[in-house]
Amino acid sequence: MSRLELINVTKRFGDQVAVSDFSLTIEDGELVSFLGPSGCGKTTTLRMTAGFEAPDSGMVIVDGKDVTDLPPNKRGMGMVFQGYALFPNMTANENVEFGLAVRNAPVAERRARVAELLELFGLSHVGKSYPHQMSGGQQQRVALARAVAIQPGVLLLDEPLSAVDAKVREELRTEIRRMQVQLHITTILVTHDQSEALSISDRVVVMNRGAIEEVGTPTQIYSEPQSAFTAGFIGAMNEIPVRVVSGAAGLVQHGGRRVAVSGALGLADGQRGLLLIRPEQLEPVGSSNAALNGDLTLTGRVEVQTFLGATTRLLVRESAASSGDAPATRLLAVDVPSASAGRWPAGSQLEVRIPASSSRVIADRTTEGAVVDRSAVAVPIVPDLGV
Amino acid sequence: MSGTSITGKATEETLPAVMAGAAVLKTRKRTNRGPGIPLWAIVVFGVSAVYFLLPLYATAVFGFSTGKHFTLQPLWDGLSDSGFQTSLQLSLTYSVVTTVLALAVVAPTAYLVELRYQRLRSTVEFLTLLPFVIPPIIMVVGLENVYGVDSPVNLIASSWAPVLLIGGYFVLTLPFTFRAIDNALRAVDVRTLSEASASLGAGPVRTFLRVIVPSISVGLVSAALLAFTTAMGEFTLAALLGYPTFPVYLLNVNSFQPHMGEALVLVSFLITWAGVIALALVARKTPGTQVVRGALM
Repeated sequence: MSRLELINVTKRFGDQVAVSDFSLTIEDGELVSFLGPSGCGKTTTLRMTAGFEAPDSGMVIVDGKDVTDLPPNKRGMGMVFQGYALFPNMTANENVEFGLAVRNAPVAERRARVAELLELFGLSHVGKSYPHQMSGGQQQRVALARAVAIQPGVLLLDEPLSAVDAKVREELRTEIRRMQVQLHITTILVTHDQSEALSISDRVVVMNRGAIEEVGTPTQIYSEPQSAFTAGFIGAMNEIPVRVVSGAAGLVQHGGRRVAVSGALGLADGQRGLLLIRPEQLEPVGSSNAALNGDLTLTGRVEVQTFLGATTRLLVRESAASSGDAPATRLLAVDVPSASAGRWPAGSQLEVRIPASSSRVIADRTTEGAVVDRSAVAVPIVPDLGV
Repeated sequence: MSGTSITGKATEETLPAVMAGAAVLKTRKRTNRGPGIPLWAIVVFGVSAVYFLLPLYATAVFGFSTGKHFTLQPLWDGLSDSGFQTSLQLSLTYSVVTTVLALAVVAPTAYLVELRYQRLRSTVEFLTLLPFVIPPIIMVVGLENVYGVDSPVNLIASSWAPVLLIGGYFVLTLPFTFRAIDNALRAVDVRTLSEASASLGAGPVRTFLRVIVPSISVGLVSAALLAFTTAMGEFTLAALLGYPTFPVYLLNVNSFQPHMGEALVLVSFLITWAGVIALALVARKTPGTQVVRGALM
């Protein structure tokens, strides 16, 4: 219901920069997730939006009006907290009614609104229960109902699902999205859970070290990450070091072999880059498809198989011949359908091809001295299952 | 030899019997005591009970007699004594005012310390402990110097004088009231609850009265109880500042009419206990306290 702008917002705690120069516009009725590891500044940004922290510099603007210096109770933003923060001395009804009572709404109107919201969240039967008599999922629904009861211009959700168990979490996130679309509320969702962010957001803001790493739709963030950080943080990603042969022609080389990738790279010739490819996009050669001319293939030995349900992930140690390194230390994650995983037991040799269409090359910023936490961007290591 | 064999026989026969007997004794003891209550606890309880109840018993025996015979006459004399009524009224009034003042000042202070001024916590804690370090007698001397007849702010001779006594009572209750309220505040997530309330549009005062106060009601009840009983039983300040409160009256009566005095001591004891039980019942009925009880169970 409101358009929210954050302009060059910065916050320091002592010497530590928590949020640096954060700028973002969130359109009316949009759901935007702030996604990042703990300590990346996402919650601080949310708290500055709500008014619980004052930015050192920058502005928070709602519908063109500067609210930077307004106290939280004058901002008209609804907030849902990580630990629910329901008032323990009030029933579900009274919790939801609280904000309306503060606004001196007529009693009849309040009651009607409370009943309507409890209905919307499937809570009608717990209206007279106190928080300690409700389950975690019910408490969080009451917290949501309470936050939207005041018809906030902006709804702020601070890790709202982290305290509920996995099954309820999935139900609730669908419910949050349904409610958000139905009520058309401009919403910020802070989360460290990528599946949560990808599944219900219009846009995802990936944050790292107090700054925006990347902003995009869930599809863009997943399929076309612009940075190694995003690539590593969202899902599993293989990073294969390459050297650019021709940036204009989209030609790179790995292990002495050249490969064409789709489109121009925007990288200088001779520059180091990282070829990014998801485990499910690496195709084992020799199954049904032969290696096509121009495709890069990698070979290695399967070290571990991990069953993931429909697919099985193979961790493959790339051979020295394939990588051009000696000794080769790179592990590749390759997802294959579980039905055919038996063909590649641990210890067997595997050749995979990288389809030119699905691979992307980005600059390898570590070699340029850029600040990227390598430990955070490595392919997630699957635990040793003792296979 | 035969003696030995007899002894041997006896041992053979008696040992199992003794053991069986011991086992029976053991089981009996267990069933008598109920499960899980160890002997030492019963001993400690018994000794404490005697320690606390014996003086009460002695007071009752002395209070309800004229020296030789049991009679309730001293009690009736005491209850109908005008001094008893006026002094009790005075004490009740001052204690209620002190209790209200203590809650009204300490609760918001402790809330602000917890919410915003954490770095002042140690200072505030130290200040509230001062009454333990500075005895009431010193406080009286100080009050008389600052507000006495020689002072430009001569309260002692004015109609404002009760302010000094209530102020003194308030200071004496600080160690108890602050701790009781502070513990209750620490048990709830004051910051998040306050933020939740603010996000719903409530200002600080409404947040405190509607959200925080009900959440810490148990702490407030114990603080009230401690403040009330401290003020009711206070002697030094009242006696030295010249107020005939109930404890002062009791001491006077005890000197001249000891039987009546002791009978009234029992009355004051019952009044205090009635107050304690009433407050405990109130605390039980407050919805927010169910959380605390749930957590304990």
